[in-house]
Amino acid sequence: MRIVVGMKWVPGTTSVRIDPKTGTLIREGVPSIVNPHDMPAVELSLQLKDKYKGEVIAISMAPPPALKGLEYLIGMGVDRGILVSDRAFAGADTLATSYVIAKTIEKINREIGKVDLVVFGQETIDSSTAHIGAQTASWLNWPYIYYVHDAKFVDSKFVVERVLEDAVEEWEVELPAIIATHMKALKPRPVRLINKIRYKVEKPIMTWTNAELKLDPRCIGLKGSPTIVSKTVNVPEVPRKKIVYTPKSGEDAAKWIIETLMKDDKASKVLMKYLSMEGEVQ
Amino acid sequence: MASIPTRFDVIVVGAGPAGSAAAYLLAKKGFSVLLVERGKGLGDKNMFGGKVYAQPIREVWPELDKEAPIHRWVTKERISMVDGEKVFTVEYRTEKKVSFVTYLTQLTQWMIKKAEGAGALLASEVTVEEILMKDNKVVGIRSGPDVIEADAVIDAEGINRLLLERLGLVKKLDPDTVGLGVKEVLKVGESNIESRFGLDKKEGLAWAIVGDVTKGIPGGGFIYTNKDTVSMGLVLHLSKKLIDEGSFESHVSSLIEGFRLHPYFKPYWKDAIISEYGGHLTITDAIKFAPSKFAYPGLLIAGDAAGLLLSLGYTFRGVDYAVYSGKLAADAIEYARNNGGVSYENLQVYDDYIRKSFMYEEIMRHRGAITLMNSFELMSRYPKLLTKVMEKMFEADYKHEVIYNSLIQALKEEGISPFNLISQAFMMVKGI
Ligand SMILES: Cc1cc2nc3c(=O)[nH]c(=O)nc-3n(C[C@H](O)[C@H](O)[C@H](O)COP(=O)(O)OP(=O)(O)OC[C@H]3O[C@@H](n4cnc5c(N)ncnc54)[C@H](O)[C@@H]3O)c2cc1C
Repeated sequence: MRIVVGMKWVPGTTSVRIDPKTGTLIREGVPSIVNPHDMPAVELSLQLKDKYKGEVIAISMAPPPALKGLEYLIGMGVDRGILVSDRAFAGADTLATSYVIAKTIEKINREIGKVDLVVFGQETIDSSTAHIGAQTASWLNWPYIYYVHDAKFVDSKFVVERVLEDAVEEWEVELPAIIATHMKALKPRPVRLINKIRYKVEKPIMTWTNAELKLDPRCIGLKGSPTIVSKTVNVPEVPRKKIVYTPKSGEDAAKWIIETLMKDDKASKVLMKYLSMEGEVQ
Repeated sequence: MASIPTRFDVIVVGAGPAGSAAAYLLAKKGFSVLLVERGKGLGDKNMFGGKVYAQPIREVWPELDKEAPIHRWVTKERISMVDGEKVFTVEYRTEKKVSFVTYLTQLTQWMIKKAEGAGALLASEVTVEEILMKDNKVVGIRSGPDVIEADAVIDAEGINRLLLERLGLVKKLDPDTVGLGVKEVLKVGESNIESRFGLDKKEGLAWAIVGDVTKGIPGGGFIYTNKDTVSMGLVLHLSKKLIDEGSFESHVSSLIEGFRLHPYFKPYWKDAIISEYGGHLTITDAIKFAPSKFAYPGLLIAGDAAGLLLSLGYTFRGVDYAVYSGKLAADAIEYARNNGGVSYENLQVYDDYIRKSFMYEEIMRHRGAITLMNSFELMSRYPKLLTKVMEKMFEADYKHEVIYNSLIQALKEEGISPFNLISQAFMMVKGI
């Protein structure tokens, strides 16, 4: 089977800081990484390839530094990468991004071979919209299943397991389809030396610009993006008090928490406010 | 599809300065070279500055001065002796381009690019787990399930020699031979650096600090001016004793904080934010740290892994030594090729090259420095003595002491006999 897996090149959040004055991300000097939630998607794709043969193609709409991310995925065992990169794609919201991705998948379908499955991660750590899988499925009019943690063929039917809070659902899906993995679905395999050598020797990477994709400029980049972030509010980090109490019982714990909160000026006011609201409802 | 090679002429483990230099030269000489590095972004994280001596590196890359990411050429060298809030400082100024300040990772990245440009195949984000032996000869490496073979392997894995340990060629890291370096990068700004340190554009300062900034732990402090940041930190000589006492870890962060907040140094980074911090081991006793041989059948050891670092207290030479040993390793492999093949007999010239090099000579010649660096006299007594002499000379409301008396009085107060002072001063000069 031919599987396409999506990858986003994101700033590593553990080191991201917010400029307290402007409320925007400080990107300077922040190393980028493969969006961690994409890793289970890559792992699932590779496991499917291990079982059913075929190829895995990683795609990323991003500026050229994202090549490092594609290199990493090829190091894990992905067969090739396609970097979809053009200034014209810059400033895209999820709608314009999913449009470019859908068109990329169509082009792969036409020119490389029939795509059976597209796999995305649950969401990205730098924007957490979880839109791309669903939107791409809408553009392509393919079935879409979210929160997937396993997929396999059962008697030539493709069966996808999706985890919910209190249940696991099994879906039979007609291919081609799009799935998005649950962020904790699978542990990604490490990079292998031999794959890294292959990456350098074969250079299995293509870059597609809009000269290749030929998309209407009104549908891509900033122009094709109806979503606007109108304002961001920076919530300053509250310093922790780091008080540790070992309660004797549940009741004791509750009592201690209330007492401690009541001793604190700010906390007691908030608490009193909510307690009085509760009274009104009753 | 091209077939994926599983055999190279040479495999280099570790893309630090030593490995990159060796890979660069070997690729240039026409060898097929695999350079394996476990690091991710090739140092986009670790941006600490250091002072690097240029001449040995120019032997590998004559284009160094023009092309390398050099922040500032060191035109000022300062040494300070600290006793509490009292400080005694000497400064030397030069115009000659002997050493420069840079982020070591930027410099290493530049070297790696050079190696790749010359044709070496870089595989990053991959850890070599084993150096493979067959019939008492190194034949390749293993990473996960993958085995790659080569005529020769250069071990340039740095100070933490897990691979050499596994081969049984070196013992487990001995705390008495290494020190812990902790550093902070402070965002001071380009113009502030120039005005506060009295530097012109492109001019840099390297500053060594001894005395109680390390609160009695042997070692010292350093300050380097990068382009728009200042790297400052401490090197603390480890010892089994210190580790056993268990107080080491809590010490480190408060020590560097104490240094950063010291009233003499603080104004240099006024209002600056800390943009990076971290720690790394460094070699303090090169002779004890070195493996018994530098060349084994199929294996050459270069850089920190070979213990090639000169630590004089006021200066470190690790990067240029690493590069130069990488060059000697490449020379040895070329010699072997031109003399009938990469046999052990031929590779052994490397051992000779190293032992006859300026690096090894320097390390041997200055071997007294380590004893001295670890001595209580240099770390505590002399800084105290010197600042005391200064105190007697300068801190007078009406009457100034004559210099000779200042010294005699200070010696008396510190309980040092003049004879001891002279003999130790002599040892010190001879040792360093
Ligand atoms: C605090 C501090 C300050 C210093 N200041 C200076 C200074 O001012 N001037 C100076 O000249 N020197 C300085 N040094 C010393 C200098 O950094 C080293 O001597 C130099 O980096 C040694 O180069 P190397 O190539 O031998 O090793 P390294 O630079 O340590 O490189 C080794 C490489 O091998 C990789 N590696 C290790 N094991 C494996 C494996 N199994 N598989 C794959 N890859 C592996 C590592 O990731 C690393 O990239 C300082 C050191 C410290 C700690």
